[in-house]
Amino acid sequence: MLHDVLWRSNLHLAHSCLAHPFVQALGEGTLKADLFRAFIAQDAFFLGAFRKAYALALARSDETESITSLYELLGGVLEELKLHRAYATERRIDLEILVPNPACRAYTDFLLRTAWHTSLGEAIAAMTPCMRLYAYLGRELASKCSLHHPYRRWIETYSGEEFGRLARRLETLLDRAAADNREIRDSYRYALQCELDFFSGVLGI
Amino acid sequence: MAAHDHSLVRNAGPLWDEATRSPFLDALAAGSLSADAFRRWLGQDYLFASRLMAFQAILLSKAPRDCHQPLIEGLAALDCELGWFESHTTRLLVDLDIAPHATCRRYTDFLIRCAYTEPYPVPLAMLFGVEASYLAAWSALLPSGPYAEFIERWSSADFAAYVRLLGALADRNPHEAAQEHFNEVLGHEREFWKMSWEG
Repeated sequence: MLHDVLWRSNLHLAHSCLAHPFVQALGEGTLKADLFRAFIAQDAFFLGAFRKAYALALARSDETESITSLYELLGGVLEELKLHRAYATERRIDLEILVPNPACRAYTDFLLRTAWHTSLGEAIAAMTPCMRLYAYLGRELASKCSLHHPYRRWIETYSGEEFGRLARRLETLLDRAAADNREIRDSYRYALQCELDFFSGVLGI
Repeated sequence: MAAHDHSLVRNAGPLWDEATRSPFLDALAAGSLSADAFRRWLGQDYLFASRLMAFQAILLSKAPRDCHQPLIEGLAALDCELGWFESHTTRLLVDLDIAPHATCRRYTDFLIRCAYTEPYPVPLAMLFGVEASYLAAWSALLPSGPYAEFIERWSSADFAAYVRLLGALADRNPHEAAQEHFNEVLGHEREFWKMSWEG
């Protein structure tokens, strides 16, 4: 299946994300609270663009099955944003005044450019890595997650069955909408690179 | 009115100089720029120009009637420019079938995204930023040495007249978000020259 080929051929980028100092500190629970706050704020901005990208893909879909999947996925990202708003309230993050950092802006510009401007397959290829990567990171970090881990809720969200199901749903859509060609491979790979840069962007490195 | 007298340029502050001056251009004017570095820049500039075509076409589709003529002429000029690149690949030893550098990609993703999501006066001001800064960068160089042909090409009187028209269009179609986006274009221009110099 295409989604599997793309994931396997970019596994080095997924491994780099897992090994990233930000992700490692998050997994070990040693991540400073202000960095987690900065991450949630940037991620909320990113999810705003992700939500639009789902909506644009939905508007361009003709098949009932794809429309149903995208409707569910859009619901999933709205739930994720609710969680971010809850973090924002708990940890006093003002999501309204947020200025995206350059890595976050580059990622959202890419995502929205593909969503508006390219084929449906290419747009889905730009969106899939985020879902698959977070399901992967969630699962990997869950093994070290104790009961009193400060970021337990975050890890449980992304290692959970529901998030994994949504990631698989998007991958099924990718297999249906995209062919194995240079544009699709490039879109998928660059999205994973943007994920890696996103973590660096939060650390300012 | 010269580009540097335009309010968008004046209000950009030091960003304007940062976007229009670079060690790459200094070396090019001095004739000391390596052929490899020049070809690397040409390849990325071609990719940039081909994506700029999409940006300008989307802008044209959103702009009102009185903006059409300069924008259509701009598209035709850009088509000639792409044709020039394509017909000179052998002479210049440039490979145009290359992947975009991350800097080129970020710049063009930003342009095309804004062409769709922003009201037309914003991409209009952005287009003025792209062209005015490019003209200023090349016009500051004396057309001599091994790269004289290129300096002349990108600082021509026709190009300057087109930039003046774009500046006048931006004036007639103001928008509160124009300056912010104009400045962002200049930031991307600065990074593009930096990429060209550092590889």
